[in-house]
Amino acid sequence: MPKIAILKFPGTNCDEDVLRSLKEVDSGVKAEIVWHKDFRVGGGWDAVIVPGGFSYGDWLRAGAIAARSRAMRELAEATTRGVPVLGICNGFQILVEAGLLKGAFLPNESGRFICRWVRLRIDNPKGPWLSLTRSGDELHMPVAHGEGRYYIEERDYESVVSSSPILRYLPSDNPNGSSYNIAGIGTEDGYVLGLMPHPERAVNSLLAPRGFKPGGEVIFKSVLHSLKPGW
Amino acid sequence: MPLNREEVEEIRSILGREPTIEELAMFEAQWSEHCSYKSSRRLLKLLPTTGRSVLIGPGRDAPAVEVFPGIAVVFKIESHNHPSAVDPYNGAATGIGGIVRDILTLGAKPIALLDMLYLGDPRDGRARWLVKGIVRGISDYGNRIGVPTVAGDAWFDSSFNTQPLVNVACVGIARTEELVRCRPASGDLILVIGNPTGRDGLLGSSFASKPLSDNPSEDIGAVQVADPLMEKMLIDSIAELVQRKLVKFIKDLGGGGLTTAVAEVAADFELGAELRLDELHLRTELTPLEILVSESQERMMIVISREKLEDVAAVLKKYDVPGSVVGFFDRSGRIRAYYKNGLVADVPARELAKPRDIKRSSKPPVELVKLLNPVGDLPEVPVSEALDSLLSSPNVASKRWIYEQYDHEVGVRTVLKPGFGDAAVLRLDDSRGIAVKGDANPRYTAIDPFNGAANSVAECYRNLVAVGSTPVAFVDEPNAGNPEKPEHFWYFEMIVKGIAWMASELGVPVVGGKVSFYNEDYRGRQVKPTATIVGVGAVEDVSKVKTMDLKYEGSAILVVGHTYPELGGSEYLARVHGIEAGGVPAPRPSSELRNASYVAKLIDRGVALSVHDVGLGGLAVAIAEMAILGGVGVELYLERVPCRGCSRLDEVLFSETQGRYVVEVRLEEVGGALEVASASGVTAAVIARTTGSKFFTARWGSTTVFEKGLDYLRELYEDGLRKYMV
Repeated sequence: MPKIAILKFPGTNCDEDVLRSLKEVDSGVKAEIVWHKDFRVGGGWDAVIVPGGFSYGDWLRAGAIAARSRAMRELAEATTRGVPVLGICNGFQILVEAGLLKGAFLPNESGRFICRWVRLRIDNPKGPWLSLTRSGDELHMPVAHGEGRYYIEERDYESVVSSSPILRYLPSDNPNGSSYNIAGIGTEDGYVLGLMPHPERAVNSLLAPRGFKPGGEVIFKSVLHSLKPGW
Repeated sequence: MPLNREEVEEIRSILGREPTIEELAMFEAQWSEHCSYKSSRRLLKLLPTTGRSVLIGPGRDAPAVEVFPGIAVVFKIESHNHPSAVDPYNGAATGIGGIVRDILTLGAKPIALLDMLYLGDPRDGRARWLVKGIVRGISDYGNRIGVPTVAGDAWFDSSFNTQPLVNVACVGIARTEELVRCRPASGDLILVIGNPTGRDGLLGSSFASKPLSDNPSEDIGAVQVADPLMEKMLIDSIAELVQRKLVKFIKDLGGGGLTTAVAEVAADFELGAELRLDELHLRTELTPLEILVSESQERMMIVISREKLEDVAAVLKKYDVPGSVVGFFDRSGRIRAYYKNGLVADVPARELAKPRDIKRSSKPPVELVKLLNPVGDLPEVPVSEALDSLLSSPNVASKRWIYEQYDHEVGVRTVLKPGFGDAAVLRLDDSRGIAVKGDANPRYTAIDPFNGAANSVAECYRNLVAVGSTPVAFVDEPNAGNPEKPEHFWYFEMIVKGIAWMASELGVPVVGGKVSFYNEDYRGRQVKPTATIVGVGAVEDVSKVKTMDLKYEGSAILVVGHTYPELGGSEYLARVHGIEAGGVPAPRPSSELRNASYVAKLIDRGVALSVHDVGLGGLAVAIAEMAILGGVGVELYLERVPCRGCSRLDEVLFSETQGRYVVEVRLEEVGGALEVASASGVTAAVIARTTGSKFFTARWGSTTVFEKGLDYLRELYEDGLRKYMV
């Protein structure tokens, strides 16, 4: 069984949710919440999830302080060794701030925090986090963020649009004014993926409101499937 | 200074000498209404606080009830009315911080927040500024600490333009056997952990125990500043301290600061304490007096055995939570505070912690009689337009603008989310859960505090029942005026009595709460006195929980309970006729119980498809909400509504008679459902059917009373509040 680290910073608040949801997807999963001071690249982790929250209070800029931490230097090192990394919400912001993913974040267009369920569509699914999805699949899950407006320069966008995995809000569902309706984006090989919506809140139909299906489940199933020995 | 001359005299006689300035400050903080309940305690004894489910009743920072064998819910309510009037953002945010720490004191994990907001008229500029700041304060704080804000209440009324009511509640869970309830013993160490102490919030509790000054910005020094990151680190570190059984006792450093925390514990456990004030970690140089009464936020007191100090220090270091050992408990019965080896205060703990009750006089205001007179003949107005007006009333309309600013999903527990049902439901494990809701109707309690408060309790009870839970316990927060004024105190007295009566009748204990006085503007007018009730219900099977959106076309709509001509105090009278008077709907505890148990049966047997209680705006608004949310059309036959004494259409449509529910039932189940009703003596009737059309149509016999497109109604409902806030 692969070992998954859930990296926790001061102010991270979705670590237990990610753990619970991973267990709901596969009760035998070996996943652990790892306090940032204890995280080491050589810890034998087969994948790392950076969960949501407000690391270090997000006071400077979302994810900015955590991105410059020792744990993130370790994590960057891990990515060079091919360890899959998923950043969710604040985790995505941290990965972007750390330069592991392209783009930047701005406050939501409305100026307010927004928590609601949205519909996403997948383009170019690649890599371990999306291995069980197909291009064009629709996934439903909630967003909850104040600084979730993803921004990317046109030139950068052109360079990734046909090669990298991209999750987009359906145009009617873009909650924050993100460029090109981008909700999530990966590296070209898809080993590092970040997204603003919360897949861990969408692994059980009990938690999906009317009209929505739990679309986060497939992301966790994908990584567990991809990490199986022999893959 | 809120200490009056008699109180100072009493302090002299307690000490047998002149008090030091430090001692005076300690008494002032502790003897404030906020901390001591000196005016209210006598009346609060009327509340039913016991029951089989009650593990810990009033007296600790938070009460605990057992919702399922071995599973405890710890929940509590608090007001931050005064700070929110001055600094809405920090005032509301620190309210959340304080109530969460109350839950932590028993070692419970906070899993939900509720906010009950009684706010000014959104058309008023200052009121709107307060609304936006309050909501953002709750949003920024609650979201950052990772506790979902899942339910609440919001009300808009010009009475609250300058003095809003910000009531917040937190719900936590714990295994019953893991609740932290050891007795602190002599020799145990007193640690203060969390934020370094500063000058903010000096004597905040005594500020909250007097009217606001005419220039609210003068009071700004008494408002505390919020630091949700530190709160989150307290949550995490205390969870580990509790899990490793390193702490014996925990207390929030809230109103009254260090003085109150130490004095109350010492008094409760017949101990004394020796404090070294210079040991406390500070943000800035403070005098001993300031250290004793500062209300800097995100601080807690933990009591530990000496031999655990090293382990405790290691946990605090892991989370980078500052802490200091400020003293220890002893058997002296006195609080002795030293500063740089000098004794600055030496007072008996019990006398400090428990001032004598004050018996306040109480008398109904004379103008009240006018309010209670029956409303005379109302002019006929088109009911169709009245419905539009009600759906777009900010009190009725969707609260999406508020709840979407709150992370209501974090924790992956929120099965029934805001906007979909009468209460929120959180799962605890794979099958079981709890329902939570907060309610008040300031208009009812301003007209008739006894019946109005009873109706708050009943409304909360119905909301818990409507989603499919069994009500277990309430906490309450009467928000009243100046207790020194008999006409104000009378409202408080009646509110407490109304709550006590209805809770007793319903058999649900009121296990704790808070009291807020001095809710008056600078002219001394009390804002609408308000009885806020928060309830918790047990859900056996979260997959059976009921939302209120209509599910299918072709089903039947049942109303449960009689409708009486009770427009007094209604949203309809206020919104459409501009009248805030008349006898409020009568509380009817026996029909509440009967109807609730019937609805519970329908839900349990899987007969109910959707359920909604009838509240503000009456039957027409309840059905419209169900149709709008479900996107399912309705044909309503008004002549079939079981009424007693209604002579007008508006009474049938908009009366706010208590004890009623609307239930969607499959056509083929109707016969069975009605049989059960008549067998249990419950009034239930099919009054409408759902249709494939996108209209809400009401008929009386062959006459069409109104016919309205659902999209049109949805727009009114969604825009009613939002339009003022953008």
